[in-house]
This record gives sequence, structure tokens and C-alpha cells, in this order.
Amino acid sequence: MNPGSLARWLFAWVLVTAIATAIVHRMYSLDIDGRRPLAIVGSVWSDGAIIAHSVVSRAGERDQGLDAALASHPGATLVYENIVAEGPVLTWFDWALALSFVPGRDGISASIDGKTAYLTPDELLNHQAYDKGVSLPAIQLTVGLDVPLSLALLSDRLGRTAADLVHHARLRRIRVARADGNESTTAITPELVDKSTVRAAAIAAGLYLARGVDGEGRFRYLVDAPTNRTLPGYDWPRHAGATYFVAQIAALSGDTEIAYAALRAAAYLRDHAMLDCGAHRCIGEGTRIEVGSTALTVIAFVEVARTGLDRAYALLVPELTAFLRAQQRADGEFMHEYDRDANSPIDVQLLYYSGEAALALSRAHSLLGNTLDLEAGLRSLAYLVGPGWKFLGSRYYWGEEHWTCQAMDDLWDRAPEHIRDPALDFCLRWQAFSRKLQYGEGDAPGDADGAYGFGPFITPRLTPAGSRTESALATLDAGLRAGIAPAERADLERQIRRTLALLMRQQLSHGREHLLADPNAVAGAIPGSEVDWQLRIDYAQHSGCAMVRFLEYTAN
Amino acid sequence: MHLRRGALVIAAADALTAGLVLFGVFVALPARWWPVDTAAAVLASVEVAAAVGVLAPAPWARRVARTASVIALGAGLSTASALALTASWLSGIYGPVGRGGAIVLAFIATLVLPYLVVLPIVQLLWLGSNRKPVRALPEI
Repeated sequence: MNPGSLARWLFAWVLVTAIATAIVHRMYSLDIDGRRPLAIVGSVWSDGAIIAHSVVSRAGERDQGLDAALASHPGATLVYENIVAEGPVLTWFDWALALSFVPGRDGISASIDGKTAYLTPDELLNHQAYDKGVSLPAIQLTVGLDVPLSLALLSDRLGRTAADLVHHARLRRIRVARADGNESTTAITPELVDKSTVRAAAIAAGLYLARGVDGEGRFRYLVDAPTNRTLPGYDWPRHAGATYFVAQIAALSGDTEIAYAALRAAAYLRDHAMLDCGAHRCIGEGTRIEVGSTALTVIAFVEVARTGLDRAYALLVPELTAFLRAQQRADGEFMHEYDRDANSPIDVQLLYYSGEAALALSRAHSLLGNTLDLEAGLRSLAYLVGPGWKFLGSRYYWGEEHWTCQAMDDLWDRAPEHIRDPALDFCLRWQAFSRKLQYGEGDAPGDADGAYGFGPFITPRLTPAGSRTESALATLDAGLRAGIAPAERADLERQIRRTLALLMRQQLSHGREHLLADPNAVAGAIPGSEVDWQLRIDYAQHSGCAMVRFLEYTAN
Repeated sequence: MHLRRGALVIAAADALTAGLVLFGVFVALPARWWPVDTAAAVLASVEVAAAVGVLAPAPWARRVARTASVIALGAGLSTASALALTASWLSGIYGPVGRGGAIVLAFIATLVLPYLVVLPIVQLLWLGSNRKPVRALPEI
């Protein structure tokens, strides 16, 4: 092939590809016109379930079905949703169909035999159908719409089988906006993040957790928000972390109900999870014990004692920190497991636990003054920010360091310069890295400004947003004491405010009460993401702890 | 001498591409899926054939090398088109993909373009400008 003909072939390829991409983009983009909706769907909701729906010509139009539903269900909510755009979907592959809908923004319609049925984002959220379509187990990720569920709902509405819809119906994606224009989740901006708004949000998160503590002291560990069902599962480190946060909120609010909840949760740890681990005491169950449970329990017990909820918990701390110290290697790293049968530590490392142990030892020293705890905490911090994270590329790649940076801040006034300076440098670099991963306005189609993530097609999770904000505030606090540059401070403050605004926007249940069976039961909770409304206790804990840190920062 | 050196460089690039394709699909990917596995095996074979074709002192060798280059270029251009169409579909569905999306797509493109577009083009041009078999060169 001579150069001339090769060049002509390549030019033709570029031209054909450019035209094809332009056509595909045009075909699948939506022309959104909020002033002239294509249809208006009126829905009546009661106890978190849709009981009637109808397509009307304008919001407020009387409809027999809607009126009857409202009359038969006192307290039901009527919602109008405008379909402001619609577009085609790819149905050749299941994965392409699942990925054809923007989570939380797009619904689906099906038309067959002259009838059209709509599933709006409200319904899809209510059925938790987003981010359930395509599973990528290798990276523990699930994206896309739950197509079988959506087709089942549509087929029920159209009186046809799901297979009929797949083969004969015309499926479209629809973009929906509330007819009343009341998108209350857009109201909280970084500029509105201040002491009073954050305090209210923190207490709401604490109240949510406190309401879920039963008489024995167990949390409602995992809750499906739309149905308010408690799901199975439990975890000691998360129980301890939640206890710590509820104790913080008890002190912040002065609310006796929250204080009793914190005490019940702490007592549950003391009475049901404290075990003998050789010569020391530890937290867990069974024969294989993980260090994280003990570390977070120390943090929780210190908080319960420090805030005066019950100072007797201070007495339990030394035997737990003795266990942590016994798990520490000579280089400062911790052995994260303990075999109670063999009475020996197991030298494996798991995510988070080293930072948690460093913070626990620091907090214990602050309360009780045992220098052994301080020395162990400092050695751990020195390891975590030094040899523990030193490899080719370690300045460009980071793990989850939120506990490390909280330990750094906690130890700041007691740490020698040769430990605290590299630790602050480490945390500032991690925050700068985090800012690179922080979504800005328009980086993702959903409500993502302030979130952290890896691309526009994955709904960002809110728990990392909370935990990174905890550590950003800790870094800012230490940085101010070290005299960081004003520009660095401004970057951190902006980063923090954007994430806090996001967390408060997503806190249940601003303007979305009708989607919930019992809005009061889940009010104040932080969901897994904008569209994942399963509520695990650590979601509220991390976000709430970040809010408490913000209040401490503004108070100082 | 220069032609021989050029042949060695191009053959080495072909072999490297074959190795990268095999490594990327059969080692780096966590699961097996026959369409991708088959395509990778075929592509790696084509690259090896191109390497042999560039170096072998036989009349058929250049035809093999040229055919292999065209197949590789076709695969590269098809992949690039598929990526571009996927990106335009995704941006149609999700709106502007932002900096993160652009980085991801550019990263994927850089993994494909050098080996499956640039190298075959260079090889085709080199084969076109040096029509004589390598063994016929007096310097060798």
C-alpha cells in the first residue's frame, strides 16, 4: 500500500467515525424543555408506596383516580412530575439497556398497543432500582438500571408479560422534573454551610442512630429506607464507631434520650463483646479477633468517659489499650488479628485498622495519661506516614488514610517535630490528591459536587465523602497550628464546605418523604449514595463525625 | 544495514504488541470471555506473523507482513471507532463526561492507538517503501 492510498483510507476512516459519533451523540442526547413538558404524571403516595397514578394535561388537573386515592388514604401525598424530554435506548444488549438511564434523573416508559406506561425516577428510587443493573465483581461495582425489575413493574401496569415488552414494546428513557419546581435538594450550597445548618444536620444524624438503638444496646445496623425494614448483618467496629458518634451528639445536644442510647450501645460492647485475649481484654466474638473492633471501642469508651456520660468507662480503657500495644510490631505497624485459641497475634494487615489503633492510643493517653499509650501511638503514626507508605509511586497513589490523619491531628501537640512534620506533609498531600478526585459542578450528571469518585458514570458513594471530610478537617486543624499557607487553607476549606453541603443535601429526607414508608424513622440518616437508600450505621457515623469536627473547627 | 535494523525494530514492536495483547487479556483481565479471548489470540497471532514476515528472507514473507499489518490496523481502527461511538453514546446519555470521563477515555485510547494504529501504519509505510526482501540487501 503506498502512502497516498493509506492516507486516503485513514482520512475516510476519520470522516466516517466523526460523522457516526456526531449522529450517535445527537440521537441519544435529550432536548430538555422544562416549559413544555411532553406529559405530566400525577402520582398519589401513601406509606411509601404508590397507590394511584395518571397522566394529566397540567399539574392540578382533577383526575378521578387520583381524587379517589386521595380520599381513601388520608395523609396521602399527590406529586406531579413533568416529563421534560425523552429519548431512545439501546436494547441490543442487557448491559446497554441498563446503562441507558442516568441514575436518579431518568425514568423509563414502555408503549405497546397504543398504551404507554411510565416509571418515574421517584418510583425507581422507591424500588431501589438504580445501580443494580450490571455487576462488576472484580472492582466491587454495580451500575445501571435494574432492567428485570423495571420491566416487571411496567408489565404489571400494561397488563402484558415482561417478555412481550422486551420483544414488542417501544422502550424510551424519560427525563423528569418535579412539576412544582421544588427540588429542595438543590437548596444547600457550600456558602450555606455554617454552624447552625451543620449543627442541625449533625444532631439529626445522631438522632437517627440513637432511635435505632434497642433496649439491649444494638443498633439497627442496616435499614432499607423506602420500606423501613431492618436488614440482616452486624459488625463490631461499626457498632463501636456509631457509639462514639452518638456519644459526641449526646454531649453536643444535651439530649438525654441520645445520651441513654449512647450508654446502652456502650454497655452492649462492654457486656457482649469484651473477651479475654491472652493476658489482655479485646473486643469481638469467636476465636479470631480483629484489632479494629478494640481500637474503635477505645475511642467510644474514651468519648463516653470524657463527655461525662459515664466516667466509669475510663476504667475499661487500660486493659483494651494493653491489647492494642501487645499487637504492635517493633516497627510501629500493628498485627491486625489475634488467635484466641493459640493465644497469639496474627501478623496480617487490613484496611483502616492501623490508623484506628493510632487514634485510639492517642485518645486513651489524653484521658488517662499512660505514656506507654502515647509512645505506641506515636510509633504507629511515624510508621503509617513513613515506611508504611513508601514505594515507587507512593506519592501518586493513596489508600484510605482518614484515620491516620485524625491520629496526626490528635497527637499534634504531643508529637516531636520529626514525626508530626512528615505526618502533616503526608496528610496535606493526601488531601491534595483527594481534591483531584473531588467532583465539581457538571463532572457527573447527578448531585455530585463535593463527592469523591472515579468517573461520571458511577454514582459517588457518600461514606468516603464523610470520612475524607473528617480527615480534611483534622488536617486543616493541624495545618493551622503549623501555619500552613493561606492558599492551602482556602483549598481545604472549600473542599470541606463542598462535601458538607453535599452530605446535607443528601441527608434524608429533604422533600422525598412520600417515597418512604416511615419518614420519621429514617429522618437524619445518610444513605449509601444519591440512589442507594440502604442505611448502614457507619454512613451516618462518618458524615456526622465530619459535621462535629466542622463545629469544633468553627468554634476554635 | 539500515534496512535490517529497521526490520528488527519493527519485528520487535510486533512481538511486543503480541505480548502486551496476550498479557492484557489472559493475565490482567480477571475473567474469561470467549469473544475477547478469541480476538486477543487472533490479534496476537497476526502480530507474530507480521514479525516473522518482516524478518523472514522469503518471497511470501512480505505479503504475510503486509496482510498482518492491514488486519492489525483494521482491528485498531475498529476499536478506536467503537471507543469513539461508545463515548458519544455515553455523553449523549449522561451529558458532558467532565474531566474524569475525558481522562478515562483518553487513557483507554492511548492503550490502543500506539500498538494497533500507529505501528501498523509505520509498518505498512516501511514495507511499501522497501519492496525488496531483506536478504537481498548487499550490506547484510
